[in-house]
This record gives sequence, C-alpha cells and structure tokens, in this order.
Amino acid sequence: MNIKKITSIVLVLVFACALLLQGCSASGSDTLTIYTALPESEIPSYLEAFEADTGIKVEYVRLSAGEILSKLQVEKNNPQASVWYGGPADTFVAAAKEGLLESYKSDELKNIPDNYIDPDGTWSPIYVGALAFACDKEWFDENGLQYPTSWADLLKPEFEGQISMAHPGSSGTAYTILSTIVQLKGEDDTWDYFSELDKNIRQYTKSGSAPPKNVALGEAAIGISFSHDCLKPTAEGYPIELSFPADGTGYEIGGVALIKDGPEMENGQKFIDWCLSAEGQNVYSTNSSFRLPINTEAIVPEGAVNIADLAVIDYDFSWAGENRKRLVEEFTNKVANKDNLK
Amino acid sequence: MSQVNTNSYKDKLQAQSQELKWKLKMLKKEPLLLGLIVLILVVLTVFVLFPLFKILSYSLTNEEGKISFQTVVEIIQNSSYRAIFMNSIKLGVISGVLSTIIGYIFAFAITRTELPFKKFFKTMATIPIVSPPFVLSLSIIFLFGRKGLITNGLLGITDFNVYGLHSLVLVQTLSFFPVAYLTLSGILEAIDPSVEDAALNLGASRWKIFRTVTLPLSLPGIVSGFLLVFIQSLQDFSNPAVIGGGYPTLGVEAYRVITGMYELKTGAILAIMLLLPSLLAFLLQRYWVKGKSYVTVTGKPTQIRDKISEKHIVYPLLALCLLFCGVIILFYGTVLYGAFVKTWGINYTFTLDHFKYVVSTGLRPLLNSVFLAIVSTPIAGLLGMIIAFLLVRKDFIGKSYMSLVSLLTFALPGTVVGIGFILAFNEPPLVLTGTAFILICVFVFRNIPVGIEGGMSALRQIDPSIEEASTNLGASSFETFRYVTLPLIKGAFFSGLVYSFVRAMTAVSAIIFLVSARWNVVTTRIFSLFEVSKYSDAAAYIVLMIIVILVAIGVLNLLVSRLDKKRV
Repeated sequence: MNIKKITSIVLVLVFACALLLQGCSASGSDTLTIYTALPESEIPSYLEAFEADTGIKVEYVRLSAGEILSKLQVEKNNPQASVWYGGPADTFVAAAKEGLLESYKSDELKNIPDNYIDPDGTWSPIYVGALAFACDKEWFDENGLQYPTSWADLLKPEFEGQISMAHPGSSGTAYTILSTIVQLKGEDDTWDYFSELDKNIRQYTKSGSAPPKNVALGEAAIGISFSHDCLKPTAEGYPIELSFPADGTGYEIGGVALIKDGPEMENGQKFIDWCLSAEGQNVYSTNSSFRLPINTEAIVPEGAVNIADLAVIDYDFSWAGENRKRLVEEFTNKVANKDNLK
Repeated sequence: MSQVNTNSYKDKLQAQSQELKWKLKMLKKEPLLLGLIVLILVVLTVFVLFPLFKILSYSLTNEEGKISFQTVVEIIQNSSYRAIFMNSIKLGVISGVLSTIIGYIFAFAITRTELPFKKFFKTMATIPIVSPPFVLSLSIIFLFGRKGLITNGLLGITDFNVYGLHSLVLVQTLSFFPVAYLTLSGILEAIDPSVEDAALNLGASRWKIFRTVTLPLSLPGIVSGFLLVFIQSLQDFSNPAVIGGGYPTLGVEAYRVITGMYELKTGAILAIMLLLPSLLAFLLQRYWVKGKSYVTVTGKPTQIRDKISEKHIVYPLLALCLLFCGVIILFYGTVLYGAFVKTWGINYTFTLDHFKYVVSTGLRPLLNSVFLAIVSTPIAGLLGMIIAFLLVRKDFIGKSYMSLVSLLTFALPGTVVGIGFILAFNEPPLVLTGTAFILICVFVFRNIPVGIEGGMSALRQIDPSIEEASTNLGASSFETFRYVTLPLIKGAFFSGLVYSFVRAMTAVSAIIFLVSARWNVVTTRIFSLFEVSKYSDAAAYIVLMIIVILVAIGVLNLLVSRLDKKRV
C-alpha cells in the first residue's frame, strides 16, 4: 500500500464520518447545549424527562464544577454552551463575580425558600445536600465500634488512619467541611481541631466524592462527604451506612445558571424553569441520586435525608466564599503542609 | 588585537552567509521539499506555539490588562511549590531510569537472542500503554490496598499504605516502559548485525560485545527512551491524582489550583514550569548525541544475524521477561477480572451485565475514539518520520526551531494543552472548538515526538550514502524517502504509529476541556464511571478498548511490514 492510497483512504474516512455526523445533528431551535457537573450516571434521567416535557433535545458535556468554571473563563469571548447545570453554589458565585453568568429569575422560584436563593438572580438553586459520615459497616462490626455522631467523635484514637476527606484546596465539599467547623467553633479552635483530626486522616483526596468511594473500597472506615455522595456506593452494593454530626452540620446548594452570551438563551431559560419546577425535582425520587429537592412542592425521595430533620447550622455562603482563599491557604500551611512535604 | 578580532568575526559572518546561501540554493533545487519544510514550520507554529503563546499571555495579563510577572514571582517565592517541583523531578528520574532498563531488557531479549515465545513477549511489552493509566492505579488499590487481594487476602496485612511515591514509581514504570521498549527495539533492530558478528569472529566474549559494541551503539535510543519517559512522568496527571497520597506533583498541583482554587492563571504558569526540566533534558540529549556517529547500516551486503542462543544468557533474560510479564498480567488480569464480576471488591459472582450495559448505553464514545485514533495515527506517524528525516538528513533554516517546537505539546501537562487550544481556537480567525478537527490536532501534535525520537535514532544508524545513491540515480527526495528511508526505519515508524494510536484512544487530561457534546470520547466516559464507583462498568469499557487496540496493532504491523515488499 503506498502513501497516496493511505492518504486517500484517510480522506474518504474523514468525509464519510463528517457526513454521518452532519446527518445526526438535530436542527436549530429544538436543541440546547449544557455543561453539567452532575454525575454521568444521573444526567440521562434528567435530560430525558426534560425532553419528554418540552421537546427540547439537550446535548451535554460532563465536567467537574471547577473545570466548567475554567472552561467558561477561557471561552468567554465565544461561549459554546448556554447553561451550567449542577455544581456547588460557591463556584457559581465565583463565576458571577467574573461576569460569566447571565441573570435570570424564574417564576418557579416562588416555591423555593428564600434563604436558598441568590438575591442577584445570577444562579438558581436545584438541590441541597448535608455533610455526613459514610461508615464502613463491616469495619465497625468487626471492631465493635459505634458510628461517630459528632465532629468530636472523629478525633477518637481508635479511628487513627481511618478517616478520608478531600482537600479543601481542590474540593468544594471539603471546603464546606472546613468552613462549617470555622462557623461552629470559631477560627482559633478550627486549626487545633484539624491538627488533631489530621492524625486520623488516611488521605486527603482530590475529589469531594472520593472519600465514600475509599470507604467502599475498604481504604478508610469513615468518609466525610455530602449525604447524596455518601449513599451512592450503596446503590452499587457496597456496605456503607450514614451518620450525621449531632452538633451541627453544614450543607451545600447545587446550582444552575445561564451562561452569558450563550447560543440558545430561550431554551436555556426553559431548562432552568423546568429544573426548578416540581416535575423536574421529582426526578430525584426515581433516579437513586439521593438528592434532596429544594422545591417545597416536590416529592422527597425515599431513603434521602431530609435536611429539615437534621441539626443544620446557619451556613453563611457569602462569608464562606469571601474567606475561601485565606482559609484554604491557612489549612494548607497549618494542617496539610506537613504531609505535603513528607 | 581588536583589529584581528573584528576580522575573524567578519570572516565568520561571511562564512555563515555563504553557508546560508548554499543551503538556500540546495533547497531551491527541490521546490517541493522547500514547500514541505515551510508547511511543517507553519503548522507547528499554528498548532503548537500559538496555543502556548496564548496561554502565556493570558496567564501573565493582570486584571488591568497589563503584562505582569507578579504570579511568577509569587510561585517562585513559595517554598511548597518548590518542594512539589522537586517531587516531580525525582519521580520522573526514578521512573525514567527504571522504565529504560526494563525496556532495554525486553528489546534486547527480543531482537538479539533466541528467546522463546517472542510474539507473546512483544505483545506483553506493548500492552501497558493500552489503557488509561488510572486503571493501573485502581488495580494497585485492589491488589495492594487495605482490602487488597494480595496484601490482605494472601498475606493477611491489614494496614499496608498503598499511597505514595513507591506506588507511583511502580505504576508509572509499568505504564511508560513500553515507550522505552518501542524506541529501543526499533534501534536495536536497525543496528547492522555484521558489526557484532565481526567482534564475535575476532574472539570477543558476548559480554564484551554487548559492553563495547551493542550498548554504545544503542545509546541514542537509551537517551531518547529515558527522555520520553521522563517527560511523560512529569506531565502525568491521572496516576499521581489517584495514588499520589502525600506525594503531590506539579501536574496535580496545577490542576488543583485551577479547578479547586479557581486560579487559572497561577495553575497555567505552574504547569508551564514543567517545560523547564523537560526542555533542559531535551537540549542535553540533542547536544550530547550530536557530533557522534552511530552509522552501522552502510548498504554493503550483510549476512543474516546469528541470534544469541547461549543458555546462560537466554535463560536469565527469559526469567526477567517472565517476571515483568507476570506483573503486567497481574495488573491487567485484575482489570479483566473486574469487568466480569458483579461488584468489584465486594461481590465476585460472574456476570456479563457490565458488557450489556456498555453495549446498550454507550458505544458511540468508543466509536468516536476509534475514529479519532484512526484519523490521527497515520498523520502523526508520517509527520513524525518526515520531521525525523528532515532533522537528521537535511540542512535548512529553522531546523532547531522545528526540532524544539515539535516537542512542546508533548511536554506540557494535558490540562494546559487543552486550555491553550481553547484560548487559541475558540474565536476567529480559526474557530475549531467543538469539532473533531481540534481533537485530531491535539492527538497529532501531542504524539509525534515518540515517532520523531525513534525515527531520528534509527536514521543516525543509517549511512546517508544509501539515500544519496538513490538521489544520484535520479530519484526525488520524496521517492527516496518513500522507497529507501521509510523501509529502512520501519521499526521506528511502526512504534510511532502504535504509540499514536494508543495515546489517541487513551488520552484523558489533554482532551477533558476539548470534548464537546458531539465529540465525547471513551476515556472521559470511563473517568465519569470511575467517579460514581461503577468500577466494573469502567473495566468493561477498558476490556473493549484493549481489544480494539490489539486489533489495531495487528493491522499496523501488517501494513508496515509490507512497506519494503511492494515496490513500484
């Protein structure tokens, strides 16, 4: 086979595939492109329900919330998607600050408690999730120990090297843990607490959803994460049970927002309306995502933890966002740095 | 005194301009060649230098829109960044040395001895580049973690710490030694056997021949192999992210800063800092190999090589190869096993559910990946050989530029490559984001250096007079390249092709920012499954990927082996 032949075959292949793909791309006004930070396994359930309700076909790219923020920053002059769907509120706040989001106040916000709503309307809340401890049932049975039920319990010497949490510098989940402790105990006691806790930490993971996975794999006995992430491995059959800190726990709000200058604004608004509506939020009860709906009219999924039944602190999002950089740097210097330089 | 100096300076200048004129004259004789060189220089500038320039200027622009080196100063003054930087280099050197040694043992045993089961060993030595690297990290946790099949199940250890430098070295060596092997086997195959046979006939021992003939002649390959592994280890993201534990590396730190601290600019500069050690290693290599002659293939008739068959040499090599293969089988067997069990780590009942899931929910990402790999592989493979040919054989202006720039995309952490490509190609004049084209470009430019390194090392062993003879007989540069050079370096060509194909199928970090709704690929899908603890579904995807890649390697082998048979 000579080079000309190879080249011509390649060219034919390119054109054939280009034509093929042209064929399957849907036409203009019935489509919507979104970036989503929700787990791949959940996404189809929402998008199929949305398409069934509105006839709009959604194409998506799945990235972590931090990656979406970076992508919006570098795509600023020519955005490729219209909606950012899912991810913790603080990433939306950071994006809003850089002028990357388009304000939109949906009518559906009427059924959502005011304390969850962004006053500027740059993003809207879609679910809440409380911090929880994912416990390895087998390990606790074998060692005859009780599940931890307070932040202080985590310091017990029998948990040495058994706890997994993410690093606040790379994970919004872990930053929620950090700022929850600061808001509970005050800043001075926080560093003492984390230095103590550090002795029991097996590994600071990169991703906030990794600690429950470490528990599932037997790499740690306790993982600290949001309840919906803690419950996910149980759907796969891993023996994990949840407990909550009775002395108060922090929570996150998941968000959705329009991307500034996105290509399909009208469909984007329809999508946000649907996400906030009871119909959209009812999907949580059927797709084993264990997320807690934020619309008071929606069904609370079975097995999900109702935030109203927990000792939740009065979490201050704007304070947490403003102090993020400083707190993470102090955490790195005072707590995790010893590890980093080992 | 100064008069003399000025004069000699003038002479030098004159000599230089004379040389320049001569070079231009030579090129004018072959306008096609000139056109090709210009085309390659332009393409490299647009797809390598331009994105890098965009990301540098983006990172160094402060909020007022002015150039500022504030971030760079902050990074250099930060002691923990310095420590992390050294971590990366240490890891790169250890992985590089180990991978090169193992790669050499494999390459030597396969090309030089009467080793039994050669086909098996050849396949085994290429398998580890097949899968996305975080799979090996997962395997190591399943094998050596707290509930690991070996540490806990076999040895009863309950508290083995699998995270850290030791695991990183193991996993990186396993993932990267095939690159060293591919480079080295191309070289070893190209060394003319009569050189070694001559030494043997003169009464030299096997060891002496190895030490004084084979090893020195394969030095360019050893250096290239080490360089390629070292650079890959530096920019590796997935392995340190999963099993790095308390051993942070710069690639991971850059990602953490970008996606966790939302400081894109600082992260990008951190990542670009990784270019420094890579470029330094590269320049040292070029400087060192330059000016030495490794020519053994001269075109004079040679007899067929007598392979080493002494038992005291073959058996230890066989034992070593078997040992390495055992480790590879163990790691990949774990993945294969994981694809067929209900819930990996908990419930080991046999099931085909995961394959049903893959087939029913998402063959399109897999097909996308195959398509992108098929398109980018021949481009990367041929471009690699052409650049290698130009760099070794031709003299032209912009040569060092070509040699340096062609390496840059390879040496940058993937995340930054992705960001650079968005910055460069998301707005006019060239809007490419969201297309397959942008992904193909990333694959091509990220994967050519393996072909270039292999091709250059192989070409250095071939006497240019063979090609000159062809040109003197009236063949154009293109005909000579196609019918003389390419068949002579087909070993390196083949490894370049295999590497490009595999890397196109398995890339993660470089494309995470570039995949679009329409062009989603299999690795990001596997990564997402991994995120939600669906390890067995991920393993099923990986098994399918390995099958595709093995078939591709077979086809490439067939095509390349026919290169020198069919002459028009």
